[in-house]
Amino acid sequence: MDELEFRKRVYANPRDLDDDILEAARANPELQKIADETLAFEDSLVPLIESTEAPEGLLTQLLSIPEKDELASETAASTSSNVSPIRARKQSFFQYYAVAASLVLAVGILFSFSVNGGPSSADIVFGNELLAHLHHDIEEIDDITNGATYEILDLDEVNFSMANAGTRLVSYGPAQEFEVRSAKPCEILPAYKSAHLVLEGSHGAVSVIVINNSPVDVEFNIRDDRFNGIVVPMEQGNMILVGEKNEDLNQFASMFSGNVEWVI
Amino acid sequence: MSEIPVLKGNTKKQRYESLVAALYQDVFRYAFWICKSKPMAEDLVQETFLRAWRSLESLQNDKAAKAWLFTILRRENARQYERYRPELIDIDGQSIAESVNNEPDNKMDRELLHNAINRLESEYREPLLLQVVGGFSGKEIAEILELNNNTVMTRLFRARGKLKSEFGLSTEIDE
Repeated sequence: MDELEFRKRVYANPRDLDDDILEAARANPELQKIADETLAFEDSLVPLIESTEAPEGLLTQLLSIPEKDELASETAASTSSNVSPIRARKQSFFQYYAVAASLVLAVGILFSFSVNGGPSSADIVFGNELLAHLHHDIEEIDDITNGATYEILDLDEVNFSMANAGTRLVSYGPAQEFEVRSAKPCEILPAYKSAHLVLEGSHGAVSVIVINNSPVDVEFNIRDDRFNGIVVPMEQGNMILVGEKNEDLNQFASMFSGNVEWVI
Repeated sequence: MSEIPVLKGNTKKQRYESLVAALYQDVFRYAFWICKSKPMAEDLVQETFLRAWRSLESLQNDKAAKAWLFTILRRENARQYERYRPELIDIDGQSIAESVNNEPDNKMDRELLHNAINRLESEYREPLLLQVVGGFSGKEIAEILELNNNTVMTRLFRARGKLKSEFGLSTEIDE
């Protein structure tokens, strides 16, 4: 057996070597070295991959799927025949606690400029998703930045979209100040509801996104070649402000901070 | 051959619960390593088991349960994330920090290895993960990935060769 054939078979399945491989290794010190080295490498590789543990609480969530799914089916059947099964399921499955009431909770935006640490890895992934979403909507953002005529939306129209994320604007202040040109439900993370407003800022379009995922640990900035943004944790989700690089986003943050309510 | 879960119970719910208990860790592990993010992996696993619950009657053979779940997960991953795949990021040792053996020097090597696995192209990473996490044979991996067995073995060879080459170990993966 030549060395290449030996390597191929050892690399392909180091933990289950056939007798002829073992025999070839015994007869040739060079091949034995390859086998030993590969097994030693495997001793690092396998424990690393296997060291990942499921998060605490996942087992409980998985075991509760049958009840939640049945409840979702009943809810869908009793509310509207126009609700698709998938949509109904997602509403119930991931926002199980949101279907019961219409309690309105005011939200205080948490300006937690932590000095003890930056965003977690999960938050960084979330930031990447947000930027990816903006580029998905880039045509509309470009249109607004370039001054294309878009109708200015009124508060009801804005709140119709924001309801997708379980939020609403309390007053029309921010919208009047900055002229909301687009407001629509969007999907940034699967299973979480979000809404995307696009306003006219000083240097082009400014996106205001609200999403009902877990609040990030601390407020943090996101950026890419074109955009700068801030991810702001709220009590029931996150608010994200993104504009062109030279846009002052703090004015939008302070303007919206007292005007967004989360409805659960 | 991968280990075979025993789906106990007479009712659908009992069978589902034994499926979850037997395999959720492996399914999560596989999800984490293919999507590189714990929050996304958690979503993927929930979606996978929801779909499994809904179609549990279609699982005729308990021996195929793990391959069945992994296939659902792969499809769900493709469906959910094909449009918004984030760029590769370093994961700050999310999984490494949980390791039992976490001495500083060892941790550095583990981080390098962790990032090396993440840098593998998916065509090499997937069969490797199916073998290591799923415990599947070459033939089983070929069925899951809808490839022939020789292709799978070649990809496993190349996957390990690429990883080893990152650590300066001798390889001949170009042949």
